Amino acid sequence: MAHAFKATIVEVRAVAPDHVELLLESPELSQAIPGQFCHVLTPGMLRRPISFSRIDAQRHQVGLLFQVVGSGTAWLAQRAVGESLDVMGPLGRGYEPPVDGRPWLLVGGGVGIPPLFAALERWGAGRRQPIQVVLGARRGDYLIMQDDFRALGVTPVLTTDDGSLGQRGTVIPAVIEWMVRQPESEVMACGPTPMLAALASAVPASAGPVQLALEQRMGCGIGACLACVVPAQPVGPEGPRYRRVCTEGPVFRREELVF
Amino acid sequence: MDLSVHLPRGLTLKNPVMAASGTFGFGPEYAAYVDINRLGGVSVKGISPDPWRGNPPPRVWETPDGLLNSIGLQNPGMDAFLKDDIPFLKTVDTAVIANIIGHTVEEYQRVAERLTQEPRVDAFEVNISCPNIKEGGIQFGHDPEQAYRVTRAVRQVTDRPLMVKVSPNVAEPWVIAEAAVEAGADMISAINTLVGMAIDFKTRRPGLGGRTGGLSGPAIKPVAVRIVYELASRLSVPIIGMGGIQSAEDVLEFFMAGAAAVMVGTITFQHPERMLEIIEALPRVLTQHGFQSLQEAVGAALPR
Repeated sequence: MAHAFKATIVEVRAVAPDHVELLLESPELSQAIPGQFCHVLTPGMLRRPISFSRIDAQRHQVGLLFQVVGSGTAWLAQRAVGESLDVMGPLGRGYEPPVDGRPWLLVGGGVGIPPLFAALERWGAGRRQPIQVVLGARRGDYLIMQDDFRALGVTPVLTTDDGSLGQRGTVIPAVIEWMVRQPESEVMACGPTPMLAALASAVPASAGPVQLALEQRMGCGIGACLACVVPAQPVGPEGPRYRRVCTEGPVFRREELVF
Repeated sequence: MDLSVHLPRGLTLKNPVMAASGTFGFGPEYAAYVDINRLGGVSVKGISPDPWRGNPPPRVWETPDGLLNSIGLQNPGMDAFLKDDIPFLKTVDTAVIANIIGHTVEEYQRVAERLTQEPRVDAFEVNISCPNIKEGGIQFGHDPEQAYRVTRAVRQVTDRPLMVKVSPNVAEPWVIAEAAVEAGADMISAINTLVGMAIDFKTRRPGLGGRTGGLSGPAIKPVAVRIVYELASRLSVPIIGMGGIQSAEDVLEFFMAGAAAVMVGTITFQHPERMLEIIEALPRVLTQHGFQSLQEAVGAALPR
């Protein structure tokens, strides 16, 4: 029987202003697929869904990288090594592995960057086809995990809203440029909904699978409360059907969604 | 200690703690986290005759000690419930309460008429008090005549135990409850959520997609205890109490206010196993406070 359980914090990293990564030791969580998440107990009324920034099944460790945005994440940011967190997981639908031999584009926005690193770390090693990583954030010091990507031998294209690092503007021009050169690329992305909406229309139909990981305010995390829904196909006379991010996502195929 | 509860029309609960509608899905969702066989019962998420799509997101918003939700009763409809969830519910030993909803009296009656043919449905809970839908539901819960009509229509098509869930968003909930009992309700469940709102500073708009939402969680417990007390003082049918329960002590408080059984909801999102912990702690807590049995505690705080 699955249950909520304790996972011990083995490392706390301040990775950027307002951004903290906790490394947890947990055999259960380290079975996760990139794109999945765990639901972490905090002092508020609801748990916090956080996707995995790294997944190490050998060492039984996972990373949770989050931005401090409210009282729940502020509490999490103050945890120390040796303390444990009450977690449920791994939960949700992760990314499907990329097809070997096809160009691969990974696009991360802000605190949506971590699951893409987990995907590259899991599936990137030893692949010969071209891989491109595009990362975006509001400002340069929020561009997290750049060095982690470089350590895997991939130099990410960087974009910031304010131009303080990399190209000024959104990730979209860099996405379009890559898709012109590699029109059959498959795409994995995670980030704010407006970024994913723009990406969904910018990536041409010639592309391979386009997998988008969504975020939404979440309740139970296991499909019971129907809080974390997003508009999805099919669109009926009343509008789109609502589907749950926690169990039918967080990763959806582009064609399943309605932006 | 015997924790079983005997309710009208032969509805027996192995213990007084049930999962509240809307917080426990249709049964299977929490099966991996909670041994459902140990629960007194499960009130499934509201079921309508046809699928309802629910309200636009965001659908939840945390408040101090409370949770606002605006789900809007999204559900796949009674046929999907019968096909997808009843087979699972047949494998567990707990009371199954079908929470039913409709836009019209006829819709309430349709879903009751269909589900009463399913033997696994042990009882009905008629939801006339959800604050999150524009038509149906709440209109029946704010007017005693409408409450009478919808309860009567359901009563006409089923012999199963029938409870009507009342709203705290009226000045005198017992007037609605009395109308429901007059129309044939065997029990009253109370309370549904309190209407509330939160503002999103970023968008400068209400934080919930449905603008208003229903407040649940410990913030509403005193309101719930008061209404259960009022209902138990005035009505002779059993009251199923709920609203912000987090512990066995909270359950005891509802008993003393006059509840015959309770439902537990919002806390399950944080602690799926909490209902089982409450059931386990209940005999100890009753004894600690000088009660030899569950029955002895029911209504202990009511005027004599």
